[in-house]
Amino acid sequence: MRRRMMRRLLRVCAVCLKEFLGCFQVYVTHKFRAAIGKTKLVRDGEKVLVGISGGPSSCALLHLIQEGLSQRAHKKLRFKPGLIFIDEGQVVGQSLEEHKVTLTRIHSLLRQSGFPYHLCQLADSLDLERVKTLNACQSNHSAVNKINQSAMDINTCSNPVEGDKGDVEISGQDENCCDLIEMNREAEKLFAAQLGSIRSISGKEDFVRALRHRLLLEFARQHGYSKVMLGNTGSQLAVRLLTDISTGRGMQAALETAFADRRNTDMMFLRPLRDFSSKEIAMYNNLHRLECVFIPSLTTMGDVGASIEHLTEAFVTGLQAEYPSTVSNIMRTGEKLDSSSAVDLESHCALCQGPLDTDVGMSSALAALRFSLEISTMGKTNGERCIKGDNSVNNTNDELCSNGVNYDAKVECCGKSDGSCRSSTQLSVPDEGLVLQTLCYGCRIVAMEMDDVNSLPEFVMKDVAWRNRRSVMKAEIQDFLLDDR
Amino acid sequence: MPAICTVCSKGAILKRPKTGNALCKECFFHAFEEEIHHTIVHAELFKRNETIAIGASGGKDSTVLAYVLKLLNDRHDYGVNLVLLSVDEGITGYRDDSLETVKRNQEQYGLPLKIISYEELYGWTMDAIVKQIGLKNNCTFCGVFRRQALDRGALMLKVDKIATGHNADDIAETVIMNVLRGDIGRLRRCTAITTGTDGALPRCKPFKYTYEKEIVMYAYFKKLDYFSTECIYSPNAYRGFARAYIKDVEKIRPSAIIDIIHSGESLSVKKDIRLPVQGVCERCGYISSNAVCKACVMLEGLNKGLPRLGIGKTHKERRKMQEMLQQETGAADSTPCTDQSLKSSCKCENKTDQSECSSQTYDSDNASGCSTYSKSQKCKDGCSSTNPRTVAKEKLSIFGKLKQPPSIDF
Repeated sequence: MRRRMMRRLLRVCAVCLKEFLGCFQVYVTHKFRAAIGKTKLVRDGEKVLVGISGGPSSCALLHLIQEGLSQRAHKKLRFKPGLIFIDEGQVVGQSLEEHKVTLTRIHSLLRQSGFPYHLCQLADSLDLERVKTLNACQSNHSAVNKINQSAMDINTCSNPVEGDKGDVEISGQDENCCDLIEMNREAEKLFAAQLGSIRSISGKEDFVRALRHRLLLEFARQHGYSKVMLGNTGSQLAVRLLTDISTGRGMQAALETAFADRRNTDMMFLRPLRDFSSKEIAMYNNLHRLECVFIPSLTTMGDVGASIEHLTEAFVTGLQAEYPSTVSNIMRTGEKLDSSSAVDLESHCALCQGPLDTDVGMSSALAALRFSLEISTMGKTNGERCIKGDNSVNNTNDELCSNGVNYDAKVECCGKSDGSCRSSTQLSVPDEGLVLQTLCYGCRIVAMEMDDVNSLPEFVMKDVAWRNRRSVMKAEIQDFLLDDR
Repeated sequence: MPAICTVCSKGAILKRPKTGNALCKECFFHAFEEEIHHTIVHAELFKRNETIAIGASGGKDSTVLAYVLKLLNDRHDYGVNLVLLSVDEGITGYRDDSLETVKRNQEQYGLPLKIISYEELYGWTMDAIVKQIGLKNNCTFCGVFRRQALDRGALMLKVDKIATGHNADDIAETVIMNVLRGDIGRLRRCTAITTGTDGALPRCKPFKYTYEKEIVMYAYFKKLDYFSTECIYSPNAYRGFARAYIKDVEKIRPSAIIDIIHSGESLSVKKDIRLPVQGVCERCGYISSNAVCKACVMLEGLNKGLPRLGIGKTHKERRKMQEMLQQETGAADSTPCTDQSLKSSCKCENKTDQSECSSQTYDSDNASGCSTYSKSQKCKDGCSSTNPRTVAKEKLSIFGKLKQPPSIDF
């Protein structure tokens, strides 16, 4: 007992009896490397996009990657990171000045790292064509670059690395990056409209998350990255798992909390910090005096019951205080869940790319809910309704009825549960039921909160139209297909 | 401005918690009953000429269940025979009052009733158990004992199925609780509407998609009589946390309860996870996933004065058992290992036991368990090196009848 007190007074590590936090550094680095190395997913020389949000876990991730890639590291990591920051200031309605302040701070943070970095806006996810034109901004910190030059090829940016031009380049690029953000006004307006039409904050958060995922995916695809690395910690992922279960996304819960998220076959999302708790990350940041940028979100300073995610976070942290094994229990449960990816593109949700979980039988929660809605609103519903428990058409939500959505009464469900419902395709505006069919349970909830389902982002509508065309094709050749999956 | 019923356009008197629609009384009754009928039909819960025991506790769920099942049986002609089965746990101030309600139900609905008590089955009442074990973890005892009691009572009545009044809120709470506890086996099973089909008596939950608030509303408007107090021991239950969470989420989004059930239904487990296998208890013949069923373990513990045998951490309990035996027999058994050390590998002094050192009590992929071969993990829990082979055989009959019993995986 006295020894313990003495140790605490002298701040000596209990393991090696040397300087406090020395062993901690080793522990953190080891865990990080082990997480990446154990799965053998990241190959040498692979280009990996690292998502930086400016928060504490992103800063820790960045620092760990830097340490791992530097020359003096023991068995250094061998991949080529590129950083990306997605500006979500519009979500909370930040003013232009606050926006600029955040951007400059992020900019300096990313520049100091020495890796190529990109800045883009969340609204860009609505206009995915533009994503191609965003160039990487290269850090001009020459000293850092010399270290990194041997580690990676710098061919992503056109700016040469020269010391004397350094200052001019930096300021020029500052404006460049800010200009890029300015230019996309139409996408911004569209985004604001869509976000505004979702009524609940939980729905908005879901929507923002789906867009962010999609943007990262597209960006990585178009700039030649093969993997995306995110800095979610164990505590955040435990909250994520519970929130997913509470919002009906049980099937994707396993994907969201696994180390490797394989919902898209061509792009893998990795989460190397998933074994760390938020306390450990905070200590790490403190140890290395890392600066984080605080960016407010929809529920910052909000009431506990503002959104489901916020409530879950309060719940988990409260429970963790009393039962310290809560987060690890939740993570362990998440590990045991199956994160099998869907077979083909048609069984992906159009919005979040998760597997579709709506192909359930008649005895299921989905069918029961649909039946309840039917039976509670029998007076107002359309006569030709299809009451099947599978990917069938039409939800009879009162609000949607009254908003004059294009309800084409000629929609019929052929009763097959593989989504090949042949509804009337001559319309230019896809039928609402058709759109909802392509969404998973969780995204359906979000979509039904919007005033007009057709105002979903462009990539969703394109997906819907594509699937529609495919289902028409399939229906034509239906009789001759042998393997009817 | 008076609200209009969305179905018949008359004046509405309530708003459905499940969908938010305004309905009048008749339409609500109709909707409620039709939904349960829909659930029963599509899940194929009942077959003709079966005898169904309704688990009746006198609370709102079981009262409404008895009423609705009788109503639907008559209206849609399921052709089943209904009986009421009630369990007396021996909790004064709670259970004795609710039993009066059950007896009244029996008269009102004209259904035969059987009451079975813990006292007659096990020789212990819940009050006595709580005196031994305290206020935490007593729900485990009550739950395990009640499950067996229901099954034994049902066997005595010769029924084919048991119907319980678990509603949507209960199932949602169970899903959340199982995620928090990391119980993957239960997580997989808990959303099934019929459980226990192989071997034991199947139990079904006709109220699986019915909200608790709607049940209360139904009982209120139909003027059904029930006993509405919470069990006096429940405030300290772990389930309370899950319940509070569910209530809060429901406030944010009323459909969340069904969403959670949907999530629970769509969860799938990795194929290489070790799940408990069903077997038979050696002592009482009841189904069990271990050599000895939980109820027998608990009873043994209670009778021997070690009430935490069934619920505490297994190796610690074994150690206590060991110490108790040492005191009694005076024999020198193997010493427990230095379990307070923070060394990276678990050093058990009893070398022969190293491979059995608690690693059997945890899954191999359990991060917080003691895994002797993992380098980066620290031995957090006390590691009991008690070699089960040195345990005295007569006294500890619970650990198996053989001379060299295998260690029990609890």
